[in-house]
Amino acid sequence: MLKSPTTEEAIEKKQASSKKRSTFKLNANDKYFSLLFLGPSLLILGLFVFYPMIKTFYISMFLTNTLGKTSVFAGFSNYAELLTSPDFLNSLVVTLAYVLGVTFFTLAISLLLANLASKKLPGIGIFRTLYSVTMGVSVSVAAIFWLFIFNPSTGFFAIIANALKLTPINWLTDPSNAMWAVIITTVWMNLGFTFLILLGAIESVPQTLYEAASVEGASPRFQFFKITLPMISPTLFFVSTITIIDAFKSFGLIDLITKGGPTNATNMLVYRIYKDAFYSGNYAQASTEAIILTVIIAAFTLLQFKFLEKKVNY
Amino acid sequence: MKNTKKVILPLVLVIGAILVAVFSNILTNQSTASSNHKTQIVFWHELGGPSEDALKKVVDGFNKSQDKYQVVPKYQGTYDEAIQKILQTHGSSTSPAVFQAFDISTAQMIHSGFTTPIQDFIDKDDSFDVNKISPVARSFYSNGGKQQGMPFNTSQPVLYYNATLLKKYGITPPPVSPTYSDITRVAKELYEKSDHKVKGMTVQVYGWFMEQALANSGASLANNNDGHTGNPTEVNLNNPASVKFLEWIRENIKSGDFIDYGSGASAGANQTAGFLADKVGIFIQSSASIGQLTANNKNELGITYFPHPDGQKANGVAIGGAALWISNDKPKEVQQGAYEFIKYALKPEVQAQWQKDTGYLALNKDSQKSKVLQDLYKQTPAAKVPGQQLATAKPNYYNSGILMEGMQLTRQLEEIAMETVYNGGDINKALDKADKDINANLHTLNKANGYK
Repeated sequence: MLKSPTTEEAIEKKQASSKKRSTFKLNANDKYFSLLFLGPSLLILGLFVFYPMIKTFYISMFLTNTLGKTSVFAGFSNYAELLTSPDFLNSLVVTLAYVLGVTFFTLAISLLLANLASKKLPGIGIFRTLYSVTMGVSVSVAAIFWLFIFNPSTGFFAIIANALKLTPINWLTDPSNAMWAVIITTVWMNLGFTFLILLGAIESVPQTLYEAASVEGASPRFQFFKITLPMISPTLFFVSTITIIDAFKSFGLIDLITKGGPTNATNMLVYRIYKDAFYSGNYAQASTEAIILTVIIAAFTLLQFKFLEKKVNY
Repeated sequence: MKNTKKVILPLVLVIGAILVAVFSNILTNQSTASSNHKTQIVFWHELGGPSEDALKKVVDGFNKSQDKYQVVPKYQGTYDEAIQKILQTHGSSTSPAVFQAFDISTAQMIHSGFTTPIQDFIDKDDSFDVNKISPVARSFYSNGGKQQGMPFNTSQPVLYYNATLLKKYGITPPPVSPTYSDITRVAKELYEKSDHKVKGMTVQVYGWFMEQALANSGASLANNNDGHTGNPTEVNLNNPASVKFLEWIRENIKSGDFIDYGSGASAGANQTAGFLADKVGIFIQSSASIGQLTANNKNELGITYFPHPDGQKANGVAIGGAALWISNDKPKEVQQGAYEFIKYALKPEVQAQWQKDTGYLALNKDSQKSKVLQDLYKQTPAAKVPGQQLATAKPNYYNSGILMEGMQLTRQLEEIAMETVYNGGDINKALDKADKDINANLHTLNKANGYK
């Protein structure tokens, strides 16, 4: 889909710029109509997006009392306190580790599976179905399923460890393992969808490219890195963006599997906001955290579009 | 294209029919409820599963017992989330007339000024003898000598052990009010004699148990007598009672007989599964688990009081569970109806059936004589123990709960301290960190609320 500036485009540009000039001179009728058409969406956006955002920022400048009402003006002291609190900084680090871990393993494993499943072999359909089956599993089912596996006395891993006379791993009670436990669970949940999208992308790479490469004597590894990867890069970009955003928002699995513990080892930002607001009733702190999270996600998205998109072949 | 058009029309009709059915059902439900001439009492609660069924029995019983009021129970999710809903809806048309609020929200409820103290109704009512209700449970929800909320679903933390396993390995069971070292002995013996196949004990990472260890040792967490003589301004978790409790656990972790199931509901479920599968011999849990532990247990269940430190007498533990409160944003008639419902729920026969159905303790002293409970004790003699623990404790400041705001966060921080120790951290450092964080939150909260 490579496009070079053509005469057609140049004409379009010209038209657009002439239109731009004309839109500056709205007559009364146009103003009325533009308001009529924009009004409803502005109203809805204002009510459900901008008002809550502004209100959240407002609350973050106060202390809130037991009833959840703003009481004492605090200025930016909520921000200063949070950004110097070791627990909050730990939450940031943990969230980043989780997002990076989940994105890396989801992409690596599903790419491997998609590459394998794209081979034309008898019975490959069975494997394609198996690999994508986690797409139909809901968060709560996955959490319960993995909780059974991680159970320290009756779980699958514990049984294997006992049979081999090894000490069982404390998956959910040891802070350093708990992070792996939630990453494994999330990656497992993500695999189905990512696999399917990547498989579709690999299938749509023209066969002629591979044929030409084979004639030249290129190894399968070379073909994968020099043909498959560049050709599916737009899809990879899309999938990585989706996975990163999803990982930032991850809530259900954390709530069901670790509840942010042990010793805050899996206390991600989103989960922390929920706990501060709806468990502790500390709306001021939760609002402050929400604003900080918004800034972080905005920065991430910007970076991604600035740097990653340039490397993508469209 | 033609085919899809053929499908769309029936699809729209089917979806439409479903929507109509659902909404008309909601509408008719509302109209039938308002068409009879009873006063509606909206009741918010947080009991799910089998307890919810048992609660519905209580509500139905009340609705049939008189024809003035109609109590409408509505499930509101977890205890923690419900508190926020109650506080945020107060004064609106959706707010409840009577609601269930859990133990550690008591200070919040009193300070909110959103409730009418139950004492106001009791004082006007000669037919209700409040002395029949367990004093330890009552003192938890009273302030300044006034009953604020009325204890309802009430549990006690107790220690469960697998009596069949102890018999199998020839181990003397712990006494009914054990010390920490009594439990350590049994746990170690079980672990060694079973050839390390059965872990001796576990204590779930749960702030409630930490607080109970303080209560049972006669120590307080917050100043001003745990908030009973004034709003707390400082907590002191790093005290000898907490240290002894955590040292007891650490000793068992070091000798290998302890297994850590972590925190939260999944940990509770995991340890119950481990206990029923003979993987662990001793654990501490709410008395409300008795039903589950007797119904699915092939082994004989042993129960003792919550353990206490060596060389001192047990002070008695505080209760857990929740109380019923009356909102003051409803008309007098509705509030009176809410009170009548609470009174009904505490009747001896209602409480007896409630204990049998749920495992929560019957709070009315007269319930013990009822046939329902006598039959239950005959069937499972151990089921008597939690009630005895409740009856023998004399209420004092230490075992009447901690009347302090921010208890939800306090519990989380206590749990982090426990987790740190379970994973090999230093006890004093972990407790100091918890103190620092709890105090910081408490100071902010007091400042935001304008308390001195």
